Amino acid sequence: MTVFSLIIINKAGGLIYQREFQPGLRKLSTNDYLVLAGTFHGVHAITRTITPKLPLATASTTATTPTSSTIPSTPGTPTPPTPASAFTFPNPGIPATGLESLETDKFRLTCFQTLTGTKFLLFTDPMMGNIDVVMKKVYELYSDYVMKNPFYQLEMPVRCEAFDRHLAGWLRGRT
Amino acid sequence: MVVYSFYIFDRHAECIYKRRWVPRPPSIIGKSSRPTSESSSTPNALPPVLGQSARTTDDDAKLIFGTVFSLRNMVRKLGGEDDSFVTYRTSQYKLHYYETPTNIKFVMLTDIKSPSMRIALQQIYINLYVEYVVKNPLSPVEHPGGVGVNNELFEESLEQFVTRVLS
Repeated sequence: MTVFSLIIINKAGGLIYQREFQPGLRKLSTNDYLVLAGTFHGVHAITRTITPKLPLATASTTATTPTSSTIPSTPGTPTPPTPASAFTFPNPGIPATGLESLETDKFRLTCFQTLTGTKFLLFTDPMMGNIDVVMKKVYELYSDYVMKNPFYQLEMPVRCEAFDRHLAGWLRGRT
Repeated sequence: MVVYSFYIFDRHAECIYKRRWVPRPPSIIGKSSRPTSESSSTPNALPPVLGQSARTTDDDAKLIFGTVFSLRNMVRKLGGEDDSFVTYRTSQYKLHYYETPTNIKFVMLTDIKSPSMRIALQQIYINLYVEYVVKNPLSPVEHPGGVGVNNELFEESLEQFVTRVLS
């Protein structure tokens, strides 16, 4: 398994952590990483807004995928007018999120957004599985060594030696 | 699998074709066997919802172009000039992307359970777009406002491709 790099973006779209673990991606300048973080923050928000909206009358009858064949239709009766806001998402049980995983020919980008809006971007090999395990561990280490660090200022760049050390150590142990 | 929408963007960043498939009751589908793009709001479909969606489809196309353009540039920066992004997934949908060497961009939104659609988009380009749009002697070289793309043959074969091959 190959983890290329990790990026952490704060809730305002600022880059607060960037680290490369294994070569594979092209190196960018610090400025480019800042631009990338800001761009991704915006794109992430847009990907949530372009979620396809399905008219509620056809989709509310089924809890799963609203295929048109599963709908008990009443032919002849005109559909009652619904307010303009009557729509549902394809997976009604889950709230709409932004981009979660992006695949390219050379890498896979997995994005995990915490409840507070911090985004963790993990760049891995496209063939690699179990990314959520890695992501969970990264979040755990972040909680333990960044958030519990009394000298860390929220939303500011992460400069915690213990976080660096444990992250590198854990990833090395897995490969 | 379910296909929600399909877009073509030309090299001037203009949306030259867009098509949405809104799941509808079977009674309506049987009646309009060949729905035309964007005018598929049959009288007994939901007028307010479709009215709202008709207003935002242009905006949606622009947002989608902005998204794929930004992501494509990001991916090229990180993975090198020959890298291209194939698909991304959110909790609700999956977006598939294919770009031809002439910078025509094909975008398709499907449900998250669908497999990779790169081959399908490539087939749409090769078998439908090239055959019915590029080889059409009456079609202009550029397609401002979608002129030449929204011809009957292309629409019909796209409809068939999506309903028969992909589902």
